[in-house]
Amino acid sequence: MSAATAARPSLRRRIGAAALVRNRAALIGLVILIPLLVAALVPGLLTQADPNAQDLTNSLAFPTWEHPLGTDKPGRDVLARVIYGAGPTLLGALIVVLVSGVIGIPLGLIAGFYGGKTDGIITRSMDALLAFPPLLLAILVVSTFGKGLETAALALGVVYVPAMARLVRSVTLVQRSQAWVDAGRALGYSDRRIIFRHILPNLVAAIVVQSTIDLAYAILDIAALSFLGLGQQPPDPDWGSMLADGRSYLLQNAIPALSAGLSIMLAVIAFNLVGDGLRAQLDPRERER
Amino acid sequence: MAAYAARRLLATIPVLFFVSFVTFIMIRLAPGDPVLILLGGKRMSPEMIEQIRARYGLDGDPITQYVAWIGRVFQGDLGTSFKLKQDVTDLLLSRLPVTIELIVLSLLIAIAVAIPLGVYQARRRDRLGDYLGSLFALIGVSSPVYFTAILGVLVFSVWLGILPTFGRGTDGPLDELYHLILPSVALALGMIALTSRMTRSAMIEVLSSDFIEAARAKGLPDRTIIVKHGLRNALIPVLTVTSLQVGFLIVGSVLVETTLGLGGLGSLITDAIQNRDYPVVQASVLLLTVAFTLINLVTDLLYGVIDPRIRTT
Repeated sequence: MSAATAARPSLRRRIGAAALVRNRAALIGLVILIPLLVAALVPGLLTQADPNAQDLTNSLAFPTWEHPLGTDKPGRDVLARVIYGAGPTLLGALIVVLVSGVIGIPLGLIAGFYGGKTDGIITRSMDALLAFPPLLLAILVVSTFGKGLETAALALGVVYVPAMARLVRSVTLVQRSQAWVDAGRALGYSDRRIIFRHILPNLVAAIVVQSTIDLAYAILDIAALSFLGLGQQPPDPDWGSMLADGRSYLLQNAIPALSAGLSIMLAVIAFNLVGDGLRAQLDPRERER
Repeated sequence: MAAYAARRLLATIPVLFFVSFVTFIMIRLAPGDPVLILLGGKRMSPEMIEQIRARYGLDGDPITQYVAWIGRVFQGDLGTSFKLKQDVTDLLLSRLPVTIELIVLSLLIAIAVAIPLGVYQARRRDRLGDYLGSLFALIGVSSPVYFTAILGVLVFSVWLGILPTFGRGTDGPLDELYHLILPSVALALGMIALTSRMTRSAMIEVLSSDFIEAARAKGLPDRTIIVKHGLRNALIPVLTVTSLQVGFLIVGSVLVETTLGLGGLGSLITDAIQNRDYPVVQASVLLLTVAFTLINLVTDLLYGVIDPRIRTT
């Protein structure tokens, strides 16, 4: 961390105006994230309406004061559903990234630190996982073990493991050959102490950047599974399933589909912007670009 | 080169077996007896059930089943669909052309747009055109492909009325192509975004190297410098990323087909999952995964052709 902090001023000087623009982009990302997080954590703060309350006499209504984004087929308030839909989508994406981190980081550390046969086995298993087209493996797992947000998120988490493990492994390889690792060995430190106290802290920046960008992709994938009917199950609101619903009556009223789709897009844009900004600040490899 | 190709090809074989095994065993792990799904609630005598079990290759322990199944797969027999009672091989063959057309068309569109865009951005670095290009790339990366497709229907079919809404053309090849425009552009968008970003940064890197400086000093025309000296070198990383993205196109095609009702392999998979039509799910996942693996293999080989250093590692 300290190396990254020390690099900051020189970094800014190096790319000048471009850095400001990049940071501004990250700032925009953060600004978009705030309402999204509020919606995910305390949806009741943003709307009084009940996202599951049906009104069959008021189906597919266009916007009014009472329903700012109109209603969907069973007459539910679209704005409320968009707001309440943030929670499951973002939570799902968070689980995906956490699972990939919990499995991928130790695997990458072990592979990179020990090398040799251990590395061979781990790297080969990761390659085998990468042999599946990513979302397809998740679709297969979810259709086998049952639909639902948790299964979808866990399955995607496994799909995201190889990318995280590979990243951690490659950074660990660099760290392993540093002088302080030898120094630690000379002092008789255990492998565990060297890995967790001396190598892992130097990987934090790379992991944070990767996780933020993964969050963006995880939102897309979680929403895709919901869109296919494999994620969050009705009647609870969720952006992916709202989009799938909205598609079927797109020609009568496009607002529900548009609201859900734009929400997904905004969330993904926000995490991408923040991720790119973090990378520009933290990742020394990006400095030259 | 031949030795390198042979080695890579050999390394692919265990991967293919692994993939087929996982696909096979996953379905067997599913809760519920497939035969009961197959019967769909109909009552039958135990003898009849045993007969059906044998007919669909559902008897014996999983390993025996797998060996029998993979043996039949090698003979081109992928089983019979639970739901459609049709030969799965025929089913796949009839659905495959749409998916291949969709993927190839998207790939062509993506390359035709992304590489010029990336080169343009690299040349106009940090100016308005570059920023607009980056904004476009950000939106392209961030828009879910199924939403892009829906948005496309809304704008081009409903509001402007110039493209067909859903489904596949039935009136000859031109009509089919006409129906593929919207899906393939929607599918291409994400790839355009990633590839143009990659081209941009690779071009910036190449254009700032010494040999470009030398070419400039020699007084070579700008066009020659950009295309012959710049783009040629920048294309190596771009090519790798592009071919890695073909996996993304495979997954994307499943989503786009489902969204727009194209009736290709993607629609087949999603329908089969809804109906728990295991032989179809298994066979189509296997087919797409094998395709994905082979594309990765070709990428590796191409990479070896372009950069001879790769072959020795």
